[in-house]
Amino acid sequence: MAISYIHLFILSFVSISRFLEISKAGAESELVADLLTLQSQSESGVIHLDDRTVSKFITSTKTPRPYSLLIFFDAILLHDKSDLRLPVLVHDFALVASSFIANHNGSNTKLFFCDLEFRESQSSFKLFDVNALPNIYLVGPDAESLKDDTEQMEQSGFTRLTESLVEFIESRTQLTVGPIHHPPIISKKQMVLIIGFLLIWSPFAARKIVAGETMFHNPRIWLSGAIFVYFFSVSGAMHIIIRKMPMFLMDREDPNKLIFFYRGTGIQLGLEGFMVGFLYTIVGLLLAVVTHVLVYVKDLKTKRIGMLFSIFVSFWAVKQVIFLDNWKTGYAIHGFWPSRWN
Amino acid sequence: MSNSYTSDILKPFKLKTKQQELLIRVLILCLVYILAFITRLFSVLRYESMIHEFDPYFNYRTTLYVTQHGFYDFWNWFDYESWYPLGRIVGGTLYPGLMVTAALIYRLLHFLRFAVHIREVCVLTAPFFASNTTLVAYFFGKEIWDSGAGLVAAILIAVCPGYISRSVAGSYDNEGVAIFALLFTFYLFVKAVNTGSLAWGLASAFGYFYMVSAWGGYVFIINLIPLYVLVLLITGRYSMRLYVAYNCLYILGMLLAMQIRFVGFQHVQSGEHMAAMGVFFLMQVFYFLDWVKHMLSDTNLFQEFLRITVTCAVAVGGIALGVGMASGYISPWTGRFYSLLDPTYAKDHIPIIASVSEHQPTAWSSFMFDFHILLFLFPAGLYFCFKRLSDATIFIVMYGLTSMYFAGVMVRLILVATPAVCLISAIAVSATVKNLTVLLRSKTKVAQIGSTKGTSSAKASSKASLDQSQPFQKNGAMALLFGAFYLLSRYATHCTWVTSEAYSSPSIVLAARGAHGNRVIFDDYREAYFWLRQNTPLDAKVMSWWDYGYQITAMGNRTVIVDNNTWNNTHIATVGRAMSSYEDEAYEIIRSLDVDYVLVVFGGVTGYSSDDINKFLWMVRIGGGVFPVIKEPDYLVNGEYRIDKGAAPKMLNCLMYKLSYYRFGEMMTEYGKPPGYDRARGVEIGNKDIKLEHLEEAFTTSNWIVRIYKVKPPNNRW
Repeated sequence: MAISYIHLFILSFVSISRFLEISKAGAESELVADLLTLQSQSESGVIHLDDRTVSKFITSTKTPRPYSLLIFFDAILLHDKSDLRLPVLVHDFALVASSFIANHNGSNTKLFFCDLEFRESQSSFKLFDVNALPNIYLVGPDAESLKDDTEQMEQSGFTRLTESLVEFIESRTQLTVGPIHHPPIISKKQMVLIIGFLLIWSPFAARKIVAGETMFHNPRIWLSGAIFVYFFSVSGAMHIIIRKMPMFLMDREDPNKLIFFYRGTGIQLGLEGFMVGFLYTIVGLLLAVVTHVLVYVKDLKTKRIGMLFSIFVSFWAVKQVIFLDNWKTGYAIHGFWPSRWN
Repeated sequence: MSNSYTSDILKPFKLKTKQQELLIRVLILCLVYILAFITRLFSVLRYESMIHEFDPYFNYRTTLYVTQHGFYDFWNWFDYESWYPLGRIVGGTLYPGLMVTAALIYRLLHFLRFAVHIREVCVLTAPFFASNTTLVAYFFGKEIWDSGAGLVAAILIAVCPGYISRSVAGSYDNEGVAIFALLFTFYLFVKAVNTGSLAWGLASAFGYFYMVSAWGGYVFIINLIPLYVLVLLITGRYSMRLYVAYNCLYILGMLLAMQIRFVGFQHVQSGEHMAAMGVFFLMQVFYFLDWVKHMLSDTNLFQEFLRITVTCAVAVGGIALGVGMASGYISPWTGRFYSLLDPTYAKDHIPIIASVSEHQPTAWSSFMFDFHILLFLFPAGLYFCFKRLSDATIFIVMYGLTSMYFAGVMVRLILVATPAVCLISAIAVSATVKNLTVLLRSKTKVAQIGSTKGTSSAKASSKASLDQSQPFQKNGAMALLFGAFYLLSRYATHCTWVTSEAYSSPSIVLAARGAHGNRVIFDDYREAYFWLRQNTPLDAKVMSWWDYGYQITAMGNRTVIVDNNTWNNTHIATVGRAMSSYEDEAYEIIRSLDVDYVLVVFGGVTGYSSDDINKFLWMVRIGGGVFPVIKEPDYLVNGEYRIDKGAAPKMLNCLMYKLSYYRFGEMMTEYGKPPGYDRARGVEIGNKDIKLEHLEEAFTTSNWIVRIYKVKPPNNRW
């Protein structure tokens, strides 16, 4: 009898413990299922968390959890701060998330991408001790304290988020992300439409071209385009675009003062370039006007005034450019007269 | 009596006005030819007859090889002295035009019994071709405007700093020959378009061939000319002349270009050349349509036909391009080309292109420095061209604008824009001066006529008004003429000054002003290379940053790991990684590359700023691009690059820092400053107690600019 009691006891113990295990596993799989549904509800696959769900999925579950969470800390009220680049980062994060999900064919239950919004979930921000944005935390399966056990992505990674995020995930979770699926610039439908439009439009265009009645036959348009290209090039606009130079700088000592001209070769500011480009262009254009337009003016007085005006302006522009160049580069570019006469 | 006698003798020599003009023109051209040559000799006068900078040393070395071993050996040359252990197939990876040209000149001189050294030929090749360019500019200017514009263009281009920067004596580089070839090809093509002659078309194809053999910039030609043709087609300027010229250039030029091994089948396969092919087919469609129009009398029928053919042609072209791209038969654009169209591309994706200083975008002051008054004249020239539109002026306008745009993207491409800027500005100058002088001369005539015969009736009304304003206009014209000449003379002064001050430094021998205003010459580079040549084993391998690779092989005659031909990014990144690692990690890489000596360039003693410490961030970037263990932020403090006490610990202990500053901490460089004061960066260094474990100092030049370290063999292990 005793034996059977013991048997029973053991049996019941085993069954209870197994039941407990099953119920724990059941709770875990429920959580994963919840995460999966949340993930499928979101367009990009990024799960939007708030204080309630943070406690449900992280703080009130027992470790080890069967999943890791990668959390992006977002604040909508800071989206218009251009130096934080939050919208861009949100987009990149979503891109990595959707690529990750697509590469694992939806069968992924190990890693979920989430985001937290500051205004909604301030207490969660406190839990993570996040004071500065942008920030990305990885909550691993064994993380107990959100302050100490979680891993933060380095700030340097935010300049090229997609690549460094992939690196971060792969090094910390041993999961592969796979190739990033950048959305094409033009979708397939648009492509078909554009090609169709081109096909329909091309015969009409060809007819017009053959007949010679497009705006391309108007030399004035070509001329203004040409002058624009010239202006664009010599004003260093490419320099501004490539280096992302600002139009002007604030003076550090006196915030009300603006700095338009930067001293030193090889670097220039935006407005500076446009001003000088304008000076470059104006002289040549005045010369053209004098030789081709002013000649046909009947009135002698206007002619003279126009002439004197253009001479004066040209003189001033050249002098100004040479002055600026000397100031900027330190080289004494030769102007109207030897520099020792100044 | 005697007077009439001499005039009798001189009678046969008396020239008509036309002949006089010709004589003057030829005389001016001769003077310009000589001027273009001698203005480029500043570098020889200041220093000595030697090859400049980095790339020219490779060209010199290969030219030497051509003259010693002949053309076919050169063509099949496998160079095991560079890119150790990979080696480099030289014949298939260079543009041979420059070397072959120099070798031919050398042969010719020797045939004429001038026993010159090949180095002198190499040094003077660029000025010689610059002189030839002035001639081409004259003929080109004559073709697009008139002979006056041609003469002015020749003068302007002879001294224009934008061109001189790449063609001073000693700058033995592809560009020196290529700008001549570029302008020559353009001239021949415009001539072919103007005349419609097959002979000129053929000549332009050969010009193109020479250009392809000389410089990678031929891609500019093969894209500009189709673009030009396309514009002519769109603006309704299609003609039989254009058809002949373009087809001849494209077909023959393509076949010829494919003979250059470095280009080969790229000419029909790579995306950069597709525009030319597309325009070629478009020309055929145009011709076909013309023919059908000629055959069909009914215009309505023709309209229908046109609609169908154009739709079909566009569709077929699009599909062919798509299939070609998808199947990989047509390769996409290369990085360099792509970075021209989308300039931000290189900065983000290709550090090896972005790291070169001449690939930086241009600021406005560089334009001023290189073009001076031509910049102001350029818009005026554009306007003149548009006022007298012809096939030729359209070409020069397009050439000017596209090259101007590219010059804005990359500093070095100012060179390509220079001929166009000179030509267009020459049109402005010549047309203005001509108008003014005509005004001056017609005034006197009118006055004479007015006094003797009275005003002629033909242009009575206009002349009446002219007469009224005569004195003022005449004076105004005089003043303007004087002003124009004055400005041009300032241009000449400026050009000469720029040439002598900025563009004539060989950069292998450095010059500086001493404390008393005297010139100090630092000849450390050659000192170091000759030390390598004399004191190291013949098969020693030298590791340095790639900038010095060509010089080490050419002057030191030793094998290098990487050089200025940046064909293998991984190999360069490996060197970058070694330089930016700790010494023991670097030692493993060095051992794996079989390196015997490490060479660094250091400017802390002399204040020479383009040394390896200032290039170091690029080594980190390029190394980090391939090996993610190297991370740029590890070397920076709050995004700032520092070498003093506050520098990042990784920076203070990496191999490059150690090799540059070894024993520097004991040295007094400047009075009143602590020992170890770096004069190039103006700070006291942060790590003065440097100990080397696996390397030992082998040689340091007299001004410490080049430092060479010997790699110790591994320790005995017991």
